[in-house]
Amino acid sequence: MMRRALLLATLLGFMPLVAAAAQAASPTPPKEELQAELSTREISIQSNFTGIEILVYGSIDFSQTKAPDPGNYDVIAIIRAPSQPLVARRKERVAGIWVNSRGEVYPAVPGFYAALSTRPFRAITSDETLKTLGVGIVNLDFGRPATEDLREAQYRSAVIRLKQKQQLFQEDDDGVSFVGRSLFRATVALPVNVPTGRYTADVYLFRDGELISKNLSTLEVNKAGFERTIYLLAFNQPFAYGLLAVLVAVLTGLAGWFAFRRE
Amino acid sequence: MFQVYLPIAEISVNLVLMLGLGAAVGFLSGMFGVGGGFLLTPFLMFSGIPPSIAVATGANQIVATSVSGALAQWRRNNIDFHMGALLIVGGVAGALIGVILLKMLREAGQAGLIISLTYVVLLGTVGLLMLVESIGAMRRTRAGRPASGRKPGQHNWIHRLPLKLRFPRSRLYISAIPPLVIGWVVGLLTAFLGVGGGFIMVPAMIYLLRMPTNIVIGTSIFQIIFVTAVVSVLHATFNQTLDVVLALILAAGGVMGGQFGVKAGQKLRGEHLRALLAVMVLAVAIRLLFDLVLKPAELYSISPLLAGV
Repeated sequence: MMRRALLLATLLGFMPLVAAAAQAASPTPPKEELQAELSTREISIQSNFTGIEILVYGSIDFSQTKAPDPGNYDVIAIIRAPSQPLVARRKERVAGIWVNSRGEVYPAVPGFYAALSTRPFRAITSDETLKTLGVGIVNLDFGRPATEDLREAQYRSAVIRLKQKQQLFQEDDDGVSFVGRSLFRATVALPVNVPTGRYTADVYLFRDGELISKNLSTLEVNKAGFERTIYLLAFNQPFAYGLLAVLVAVLTGLAGWFAFRRE
Repeated sequence: MFQVYLPIAEISVNLVLMLGLGAAVGFLSGMFGVGGGFLLTPFLMFSGIPPSIAVATGANQIVATSVSGALAQWRRNNIDFHMGALLIVGGVAGALIGVILLKMLREAGQAGLIISLTYVVLLGTVGLLMLVESIGAMRRTRAGRPASGRKPGQHNWIHRLPLKLRFPRSRLYISAIPPLVIGWVVGLLTAFLGVGGGFIMVPAMIYLLRMPTNIVIGTSIFQIIFVTAVVSVLHATFNQTLDVVLALILAAGGVMGGQFGVKAGQKLRGEHLRALLAVMVLAVAIRLLFDLVLKPAELYSISPLLAGV
C-alpha cells in the first residue's frame, strides 16, 4: 500500500517533466541548423595550376524530412572573390577600323562569382531576399545602381557575358544536390584565370521560401612558391624585378653562346 | 599537358607551344639575320598574350638572343663602340618616351589598337620595300648583272650637319645628330612594339650614315642589347607587364632555334632569303590588318581599371 502510494506520488511529481519532454519531441522540434564546409580552405596557384574544382558540402542538423526524396529544404551556395574596379569598352568603327570607345567603369565587380542552388533561385524565395543576399548574377550591382538606360543595360550584360565566357561568373540552379535526408553537396570549378584573394563561401538554407540558417566561411586563393615570389617582386619591387629579368636574359644568351659556339 | 602558369600574364600556356614559338622565331632570325622581335610580338598577340605583355616580354627575350649574337660579332671585331654608344644614348631617350606613351595608351584602353596599327604600317612598308628590292635583285641576277645594285657611298646632306665626331672603326667623320636620331627612333619602336629595331637601324646605318656593311650588323646588335635591356627594366617598373617566365621560355627556344636557322640560311641565296622574309612580314601585317578591319565577333571587352578613365 505504502509502496503504491509512493510510486503514485513520484509519478505525479514527475508529470510536468515528462509532459515537457513529450512536448519537445513532437510539436516544436529544435530549429534546423546548417553545417557547411569546403573541400579546401586554401588554394595555391603554382606553375602547374590549370584550375581546380572545389566541393561545398554540409548537412542540416535536426532535419525534419521524413523521406529522403522530396525534401522541403533548399540550399543556395555563393562563392565570391573580392570585387575589383573594371572598365567595359565597346568597339566602334572609326575610319574603317574597330576602335575601343571610352567605356563604362564598374567600381566593384566580383573577380569570381558562382551561385549554385537546388532549384531555380526564384522558385526558392522572393526576389527581395535574393537581392539582399546577392543571389544570382542579375542581382549583382557592380558598385553602381542599375538604371533603365538601354546603353547601360547593354554594357552590363556585356560584362556578365564576358565574365561568363571566362567562367568567372557561374550560375547553376541544379548545382546543389541532396544526398539522403540532410546531406548536400555542390562542386564549383575555379578556372585557371581566377583572381587571388580571400573568397567568401556563403551557404543559405531555406524552408518554404524562408531563410532559416546560414553558414559563412572563407577560402584563400593565393599564388604560391616561385609564382608568388615572382609576382610579389614584380609588383612590390618592379625595378629590381626588371633588373633580374635582364640578368636572366643575359645569362640565357651567354648559355646559348657557350653551348653552340662554333670554333 | 605541359601547361605552365605565367605569373604576370596570369594565364596558363602550353610550354611546348611557347618553346616552339621561340624556336621558330629564333630559326627565322638566324636564317634571315634579323632580330625577329617584329615576328615574335605579333605571334604572341595571336596566341592570346595581352599586347602590352607581349611587347615587354618580347623586348626582354631579345636581350637574350642579342647577347649571343653580339658576342659572335665582337669576336670578329665587327662593333663600332663609339657609334654604338651614341645609338644607345638616343635609344634610351626614345625608350623612355615609348614606355610612357604605352602606359598612357594602356590606361585609355587603346594600347592594343595602336600597337597593331603601328605594326601594320611598319611591317607593311618594310615588307613591300623588301619585296620590290629582292624581286629587282632576282631579275638582275637572271639578266647576268651583279645582284647588288648599290653604288659606293657619296656624301649627302647628312654629312653637312654640325657636331662632327670621328668614328675610327667605321672610318667616318660625321655629325652626332643622325646616330642620335636613329637611336631615338629605334628606342621608341623597341619600347612600343617589343622589337629590336634592326630592320630600321641596319638600312639607316648603311644608306644614311654610309657605314661599312660588315660593321653595321655588329653595331646594331650591340645597341639592341642595351636598349632592349633598358626597355625591359622600364616596362617592368612603369607597366608591370614583363613576364619573366614567358621571356625565359621564349629565349631558351630562341637560342636553340637560332643555331639551326643560321645553317638553313647559308643554303639560300641572299635575294631569295629577303623575298621570303618580305612575304612573311607582309603576311603578319595583313593578318593584323584583318583583325583591325573585320567586324569582331564580340564588340565589348573588359579590363581591370588601371587609372581614372
